[in-house]
Amino acid sequence: MNSTTYARRNLFRRRGRTILTLITIAVAGLIFNTIRTVDYAWKVGVNEAAKDRLATRHKVSITMQLPKRYIDDIRDPAKVPGIKAATWANWFGAKDPRGRAQFFAGIAVDHQTWFDVMDEMKVEPAALEEWKRTNNGAILGDLLAKTLEVKVGDDLTITSDIYPGDWKLKVVGIYTPLRKTADRNSLLFRWDFLNNDPRATYSKEKIGWVMSRIDDPSKSAEISRALDKLFDERDDQTVTMSERTFQLSFLGGFSAILSAFDLVSVVILLIMLLVLANTVAMSVRERLHEYGVLRAIGFSPGAIFGFILGESMLLAAVGGLLGIVLTLLLVNGVVGPAIEENMGGFFPYFRAPTAALVMAFIGTLVVGAASGLVPAIGASRRKVTDSLRRVD
Amino acid sequence: MGEPTAEAKSGDGASAKASIVTLKSIDKSFHRGKEPIRVLEKLDLDVPTGSFEALMGPSGSGKSTLLNIIAGLDRPTSGTVLVAGSDLTKMSDGELAKWRSQTIGFVFQSFNLIPVLTAAQNVELPLLLTSLSGAQRKKHVETALRIVGLEDRMEHYPRQLSGGQEQRVAIARAIVNDPKIIVADEPTGDLDRKSADDVLTLMEKLNKELGKTIFMVTHDPAAAERASVQRKLDKGALL
Repeated sequence: MNSTTYARRNLFRRRGRTILTLITIAVAGLIFNTIRTVDYAWKVGVNEAAKDRLATRHKVSITMQLPKRYIDDIRDPAKVPGIKAATWANWFGAKDPRGRAQFFAGIAVDHQTWFDVMDEMKVEPAALEEWKRTNNGAILGDLLAKTLEVKVGDDLTITSDIYPGDWKLKVVGIYTPLRKTADRNSLLFRWDFLNNDPRATYSKEKIGWVMSRIDDPSKSAEISRALDKLFDERDDQTVTMSERTFQLSFLGGFSAILSAFDLVSVVILLIMLLVLANTVAMSVRERLHEYGVLRAIGFSPGAIFGFILGESMLLAAVGGLLGIVLTLLLVNGVVGPAIEENMGGFFPYFRAPTAALVMAFIGTLVVGAASGLVPAIGASRRKVTDSLRRVD
Repeated sequence: MGEPTAEAKSGDGASAKASIVTLKSIDKSFHRGKEPIRVLEKLDLDVPTGSFEALMGPSGSGKSTLLNIIAGLDRPTSGTVLVAGSDLTKMSDGELAKWRSQTIGFVFQSFNLIPVLTAAQNVELPLLLTSLSGAQRKKHVETALRIVGLEDRMEHYPRQLSGGQEQRVAIARAIVNDPKIIVADEPTGDLDRKSADDVLTLMEKLNKELGKTIFMVTHDPAAAERASVQRKLDKGALL
């Protein structure tokens, strides 16, 4: 036996109460971890953004388009030095008329240069060659291809909320991710196919945004300013930013939701604190006489303080570990893969990050210490004779 | 004041020995609201080393307060408390805790064993405050439980023991660290006659065979009869 034996044995002294408290902490931990996972998944594009890529869009809004000729200026090293390659894209916004996927990212891209710049996606060279030959060719992410139940060579019809009618495409390739956070649910088809269609007069010779690869990531701010200056006197001004800032500006629209997530996380920790504090306070109150006996036989006030704080932290640690196990089983094992498959456009990678789990566990320990602090101080400072006199 | 009201039993010889407890001019007051209540008044007491003393008196006479002062659990309002060579009034709470762990063995009326620990673990508790190794502690625990006749109940939890057995485990816990004094507060109060007799016999044995000084508070005249010295306390003064 050692000093921790007493704290460990006390943990299950009131088995029912302890089990209910542990379930509460574990479920609170699961909710906390899930919220942090959503937050992480939402920001994963920002965190994993390529450092040597710039995004250029219309200065007013991403929903406004730029003249396609801007790409020639951007690619001209005499006008803006430091850009290795540049490509462009238009948002199409795709739906499957057969209902296999409600909504997914359909993007019209420059088939000659897209994969040179967006190199986190792997495509077979033969597929790229076929794309060049096939005017209505499309390359899909592997998860989307699975959802739509299509393979290379199949015909695929999609619709859009922006462009009317059915759009008949031919699958020429499937891309796979080179990074775990890459989107696997996008459909890429040729920009010239969209541009030449009479139903797309709205965006004739227009592009949604430009992605550029630069020589030196440390000069991204300088190059961004030079690019924007280039179009300062034109009808459509631009705003250029690093891919990370671009992603952040997209997230800006969801900032209220992300702030709510943070708030809910704190509220969950507070609920955990109250539940645990209540349990510890009840346990200590029931055992004041016992602590008096321990003091009488020679245990110091510090030892009593340690017993109570240790028991509180032990309870929190066991509950926190159970919460992590539940998170790994439910979020990483069940919900995460389902979300990646069905909502990959928003959440290409939905797994609880290790850092969040470690943070949650440390948070639980802090809550455990905070819960035990007041009862521990009270019990350890109590006069021995008062504790011994108490009869419950 | 403070003189024994009964003669020391033959063969005891305690009165010839030096005092292990010396109280001089002890006052103890409590406050109920703004009104002070004097529990002990100018009390003097000498307890010889190796004696077995019983303190009797009506409820509220100050018996437990006096016991607590001797055991270093409470402090007098004024006066001097010398126990086993230490002046308790000059010690801090931390020093008193350490002193109690080395000098005093407690026996309570309601046994006060820790229900989640086995008999052996309960007895081992005071030894956790020493530098003894696990093996040494185990040996001490076995010896203490053998003295009280419960070496076959080591792994039993308190709920698996009778009241008399629980009190004997409590006595084993009180003697395991070889204290100079055992203080007992109504040690037979919660026991039937037979168990009470067993416990008192055990305490006599500890006094006579191991030379432990025992200071016992009791309401039970039969229990007091077993002590070598009986004292009476009334309204805060020894009669």
